Amino acid sequence: MFKHLFKLIWNKKKQNALLITEMLVSFLVMFAVFSMIVNFYHNYRTPLGFEYKNVWLINIDNPPHFNKGDSAAMYYQNIRNVLTNMPEVKEISYSSGNTPFTSSTMTTGYRHKSKLYSPVNFFRAEDPYDNAFDLNLLEGRWFDKRDNAATVEPVVINQSFKEQMFGKGKATGQLIGGYDEKDTKKMRIVGVIADMKDKGDFRPAGMSLYTRIDTGFFHHVGRIVVKVTPAAGAAFEGRLYKTVANIMKESTIGIERFSQKRDKMNKETLMPVVILLILAGFLIINVALGLFGVLWYNINKRRGEIGLRRAIGATGNSVSAQIVGESMLLATLSLIVGSFFAVQFPLLNVFDLPAGVYITAMFLAILFIYVLVLVCSLYPGRQAAAVYPAVALHEE
Amino acid sequence: MIQLKNIEKVYRTSTVETLALNSISLDIAKGEFLSIMGPSGCGKSTLLNIMGLLDTPSKGSITIDNQGTEHMKDKALAGFRNKKLGFIFQSYHLINDLSVLDNVELPLLYRDSTAKERRQLATEALEKVGLANRMKHFPNQLSGGQKQRVAIARAIVGRPEIILADEPTGNLDSAMGNEIMDILMQLNEKDGTTIVMVTHDENMAHKTHRLVRLFDGSQVQ
Amino acid sequence: MLKNYFKIAIAVLRRRKFFTFISLFGISFTLTILMVLTAFMDNIINPTYPDMKRDRSLYIGRVELRNTKEGWINSSSSSFYFLTHYAGSMKRPVKMAISSGSSSSNAYVNNKKIVVGIKYTNADFWEVADFDFLEGKPYTKPQVDQGQRVAVICQSTKRDYFGDEYDVVGQYIEVDNIKYRVIGVVKDAPLSSESYHANMYVPYTLSKSDYKSTGHQGDFGAVVLAKSTDDIEKIQKDYDQIVNRIPTNSKEMDKLYSNADTHFRTIVRNVFGSGPESGFTRFLLFISGAIFLFMLLPTINLVNINITRIMERSSEIGVRKAFGASSKTLIYQFIVENIILTVIGGVFGVIFSVITLQLINESGLIDGLHLTLNFTILFYGFLTCLLFGLISGVYPAWRMSKLNVVRALKAQ
Repeated sequence: MFKHLFKLIWNKKKQNALLITEMLVSFLVMFAVFSMIVNFYHNYRTPLGFEYKNVWLINIDNPPHFNKGDSAAMYYQNIRNVLTNMPEVKEISYSSGNTPFTSSTMTTGYRHKSKLYSPVNFFRAEDPYDNAFDLNLLEGRWFDKRDNAATVEPVVINQSFKEQMFGKGKATGQLIGGYDEKDTKKMRIVGVIADMKDKGDFRPAGMSLYTRIDTGFFHHVGRIVVKVTPAAGAAFEGRLYKTVANIMKESTIGIERFSQKRDKMNKETLMPVVILLILAGFLIINVALGLFGVLWYNINKRRGEIGLRRAIGATGNSVSAQIVGESMLLATLSLIVGSFFAVQFPLLNVFDLPAGVYITAMFLAILFIYVLVLVCSLYPGRQAAAVYPAVALHEE
Repeated sequence: MIQLKNIEKVYRTSTVETLALNSISLDIAKGEFLSIMGPSGCGKSTLLNIMGLLDTPSKGSITIDNQGTEHMKDKALAGFRNKKLGFIFQSYHLINDLSVLDNVELPLLYRDSTAKERRQLATEALEKVGLANRMKHFPNQLSGGQKQRVAIARAIVGRPEIILADEPTGNLDSAMGNEIMDILMQLNEKDGTTIVMVTHDENMAHKTHRLVRLFDGSQVQ
Repeated sequence: MLKNYFKIAIAVLRRRKFFTFISLFGISFTLTILMVLTAFMDNIINPTYPDMKRDRSLYIGRVELRNTKEGWINSSSSSFYFLTHYAGSMKRPVKMAISSGSSSSNAYVNNKKIVVGIKYTNADFWEVADFDFLEGKPYTKPQVDQGQRVAVICQSTKRDYFGDEYDVVGQYIEVDNIKYRVIGVVKDAPLSSESYHANMYVPYTLSKSDYKSTGHQGDFGAVVLAKSTDDIEKIQKDYDQIVNRIPTNSKEMDKLYSNADTHFRTIVRNVFGSGPESGFTRFLLFISGAIFLFMLLPTINLVNINITRIMERSSEIGVRKAFGASSKTLIYQFIVENIILTVIGGVFGVIFSVITLQLINESGLIDGLHLTLNFTILFYGFLTCLLFGLISGVYPAWRMSKLNVVRALKAQ
């Protein structure tokens, strides 16, 4: 029977070519859509890696200029003292501009055993950063006072970076070098933390490296991360604002909450996806109606054939199964061609997504097209089963 | 072979009720070649459809090969048609997208059979109608007479005991018509196949064993 | 003849309602998407409040420094000095508005936080842009030079900060711990207008950043106003020449790029361009690729439906041919029919577009954005419609003309 259906389709290839093309393009569209959804879901499923509740961010525009690093450090130590004295403040850490949920990124490359790892997100933070965000330490430790006396610059890396460099091995204690091969200055890994998805729930963390803020950093400070008690509300925010703005009279101060920044970031990430989904949805409705229409019309055109099949011993169900089977076979042909294109994505590593994402997306897209075609051909199939052979055979 | 008892067929639309067949009783013996004649719209096709189990009568009963058919469900009917009956139509009803051989094999697809058996039987059937050399052709490459011979091959490929032919020569000129008629008569004589044929052609009808005339749904002869 | 075609077309469309529905759905939805896209583009290209002189404005935003050997790039807004010193040296422009990027700071009223985006501007800013003053008036050059603490605020900030008070001119607003005297209230500028959108405008002399710094990069951008549209290209040339002579003032960087672009080109450059590349070609490739991909499926679908539609009418076609219609007339007839169908779809498309735009405007997806349909967009929509009808009609019509008369007549 399968061979028979194949013959029917093959001998009508001219008429079927357009249907196949339509299914093929639909498959590719769905492949793209599912790749995106699977990728986002995959990212969403991995834990965020840090706690953002009750963590606030103070932005500083136009920080004051200092000629000497020491005086800058003292200036910011003073602010730190003032803030730590407020009972609502639990932790405070200065940070580089790429705090979580901002669009700002800093990337560079690092070498280990002369192999270059790039791009690596590069963060600067202080000892309390760990507690402020409740980071999840997997190996070694976060920065602390012991690092004051360190002769080799201590760094903390995230799990993704560790796995790239050392696989399952131990990272703590290892030495790595900077981007420039001539630069022989080394850094020592003191700890590994779980990935911080700092670009929101739907984006991967990527390889990351954290360095400890030194005196030189205070020439240009832009961000203060503040962990507050759960009771701290808008009134405290106003007070905090006044306090900082009174000290930093020359600068523009803004306070944001990470919970709001996360929502905003997620919204920004999802917005294009939602638009794309709406578009794809309409396209698919369009295609479904078209397929349905063409299949339905074909039933009307083939009433004679259907009547004959009934006369020579086909049951209504087998006629219906034939119609559905033909459509599924057409879908299979287009899916074979489509999969050939789709499989190039993981093979050529386009867009740098994990191969698993593409493969899952491919299976989902195949399933989707089959279900779509099945749904669109079920009713025409039932129509075919209902063709009354005695009438159909005498129509022409 | 075929017994019809008091067959009545009524077509109802919302306003009109038409009596297509009025109390027809027929007893067709095994190996008989029967023809049915009558003007257009007298109900002869309806009668043939009922004999072929394509249509159900409003009243009355049909027994084929000593089997009552009233209570058969779709699946049983389909199987019955497949094994016992062969159909031939005025407009051939060949599937244009299939080759001659594939067209002839068609009935065998609806029963248990292997591809080899199907090919074997179909080739034999085509040889019988003298078209073994056209197996790979497609229907639209054939003349009307050739098409009808393919249709006959398709009707006999499953070795049915009964062949129902609905004006098999209606679309053909007399030479070709005679050719088809010869094949049918041969099937009847050599293989003992029971044949029921609806026709407009007196000459053809007179070649058969028995002639039944219908007028306005009633048997007149 | 055309009237006859029209009659037949309507009859055919009514005969097969389901196919007509599918075709119309596909056409109108595709067109709606394209029209909404065009409306967005139109909003970017054509003047919108308060940027009413867009056709004779040139925008200078970023200064990019490059090390061509190592591929280092340092790109940032311009400094006040850079703009006044270089762009300001051009003779042709009538006026130049200079403003900083909107920097957000906070104001606290009754324990409620209001985020206020502040732009530091010069006095000409008010003459280049056409703001609607609901109350008061803009600050003047002497006020700017004296560094008076005055501010023009936008309507929404007035509502957030002062509540329902009617007249706020002369009152004080405290932002960033500094009190400003409100001297004017303007209607909000949309977020999409980067050069003009802010919640509060104050003289640049109050800027906390060092506007006197003579480095190339800083916080500012400029809008250069030409006397007439004819001057635009001349000014661009003048500016390119000036920029070519500017030293990078840096040992590491050997190239300096800065452009005076039209509004649309500025946006294209931001997304697609880099360094000397305006990104316009890449933009065109991208947009036509996207539209092609987007229209591919509906087109295939329509072609499919059209073929089905034609095959269904094969007997009609057979009769027409038998009575002497040439293939050419038949193709012509079918294409006219198809275009009538697409135009009907287009009318629905316009209706859906109006609804969609209304929804987008009301959803407040983008602050202060107001999209409308105008004749240009309608014209493009109509053009797309015709193209769509033509493309989806030609192949089926060709198939139809190949139809064998005898078989077509026999088929029914």
